[in-house]
Amino acid sequence: MTSLAVPTTPTHPLGQRWPDAQVSVEGVSKVFSPEPGLFDFLTHRRPTGYVALQDVSLSIEKNTFVSIIGPSGCGKSTLLNLLAGLDRPSVGQILVDGQRVRGPGPDRGIIFQNYALMPWLTALGNVEYAVQTACSGLSGGQAKERAREYLALVGLERAMHRFPKQLSGGMKQRVAIARALSISPSILLMDEPFGALDALTRSYLQEEVLRIWEDHRVTVVLITHSIEEALLLSDQIVLMSRGPAATIADVINLPSLRPRQRSVIDQHPEFLAIKLRLEEHLLKETRAVEERT
Amino acid sequence: MFESRISRPLAITVSCLSVLVALLVWQILATQGLLGQNFPGSFKTLKELAWWLSDPFFYNGPNDLGIGTNLLISLRRVLIGYCLAVLVAVPLGLFVGISQIAQSSVNPFVQLLKPVSPLAWLPIGLFVFRDSEITGIFVIFISSIWPTLINTAFGVTSINQDFLKVSRSLGASQFRTVVKVVLPAVMPNILAGMRISMGTAWLVIVAAEMLLGSGIGYFIWNEWNNLSLPNIFVAIIVIGFAGLVLDQIFGLLQRRFDYQD
Ligand SMILES: Nc1ncnc2c1ncn2[C@@H]1O[C@H](COP(=O)(O)OP(=O)(O)OP(=O)(O)O)[C@@H](O)[C@H]1O
Ligand SMILES: [Mg+2]
Repeated sequence: MTSLAVPTTPTHPLGQRWPDAQVSVEGVSKVFSPEPGLFDFLTHRRPTGYVALQDVSLSIEKNTFVSIIGPSGCGKSTLLNLLAGLDRPSVGQILVDGQRVRGPGPDRGIIFQNYALMPWLTALGNVEYAVQTACSGLSGGQAKERAREYLALVGLERAMHRFPKQLSGGMKQRVAIARALSISPSILLMDEPFGALDALTRSYLQEEVLRIWEDHRVTVVLITHSIEEALLLSDQIVLMSRGPAATIADVINLPSLRPRQRSVIDQHPEFLAIKLRLEEHLLKETRAVEERT
Repeated sequence: MFESRISRPLAITVSCLSVLVALLVWQILATQGLLGQNFPGSFKTLKELAWWLSDPFFYNGPNDLGIGTNLLISLRRVLIGYCLAVLVAVPLGLFVGISQIAQSSVNPFVQLLKPVSPLAWLPIGLFVFRDSEITGIFVIFISSIWPTLINTAFGVTSINQDFLKVSRSLGASQFRTVVKVVLPAVMPNILAGMRISMGTAWLVIVAAEMLLGSGIGYFIWNEWNNLSLPNIFVAIIVIGFAGLVLDQIFGLLQRRFDYQD
């Protein structure tokens, strides 16, 4: 573990800010400090924390699809948790629609890597729980109707009375997508949503997400370690450097080519160039991580 | 691990045979006088059992009750004390699992009192309540509370954090999260704790009743004073069966709430 000085005043690289940003991350650092042990207590020492993120600044425009990519363990999930409001930055702030994020809220829907479906509820029950919780104005019948609607959107109308253990990995992730969308969030946060799926299911679901996103425009922040996935889905790719003290290495805007075919990634010269750049960056960072230990 | 699985009918046949062999060995040992003079054999015991079961619910005064009547008296005490214990242990366990402060304040009592035989509370109960019925219920309450409390609290601390994150991210209140997420998530742990509690309560009631003056435990004590060993064996068999049934009920409930994927 390395401890690094955390700047107390956040810096704002102006080049990365748009005036109409929906999400702006301003000079955010995150330090995980361990519980002080007895020895630290007796010697009046504060244990040195682990600086996961240092001075991260980022702007995300409304209704764009942004992918965050970086070497393993660099702090991608940490950043997503901060955006979700499930955790607080140690330094700096995050604004959503001009409001400082102080906690989680139904304006942000989250999709977790391992689905996080509650096993005692059916697919319908899981989505219904989200609707009832986030939209307290709806009656029970309306909430159920809405849950059905979103399960139909992800193509699960025939499996909605099944329990999670009766669903395949891809179906579970579709329930999770329906649950996140059912509360009509303006931002969808996804943490490696397809990481646990086999290649075919993964590419099928990627296309499903694209299809849904084409008619339900929301801002999407997608964490991935797949370069192809980032290239296929995003408007913008955020590259992170390795941890500790990870930060944003680069932001790449992709050509606005939509709808985008899978073949484009290997044929379009601009996409090819970006792909090479991403591969080079990830390889360099990963090598540095592996050689350090 | 060592053998291939055997079929269910075979398993049942082997179990029945094993019981028959045990009864036979018992009978032979008893008739040979190897267990002391006048030790009842299994035939005599089974004959007694049949007699007691032919009219289980009679009442001829406080020292002459049918075995079913005695069993009901014991079951009633166990159920009342046990239900009270569950009503306290589950909410307290949830609270202890959720709050570090609650955990720190309850922990010393749990650690200190859990290893104490609940029978040690019997004199305290008699002194405070001056009533053997309430004291019996009180002793059952004390013996049932710990396993359910500990299992519930452990269930809460080992709950999948993602469920809590999902609930929080939807803006659910603390109360809603506890009722709709935490409680169902720890249901398997609660039931496991309740099953152990029930087992303990059923163990304790027999011993407690020897001192309290009615119920199946007192029946055994009474028959010991009459030196009627067959009747004691009858009581042992009846207690065993009742315990088995109670345990199986929880087995069914646990299967119903086993939603691991
Ligand atoms: N609660 C925590 N306490 C201490 N350290 C933590 C905590 N959460 C994360 N970390 C550390 O912060 C770093 C970043 O973790 P994070 O999970 O955000 O990485 P990641 O980029 O999502 O990795 P992966 O690609 O493997 O999912 C890791 O080194 C991790 O050990
Ligand atoms: Mg992660």
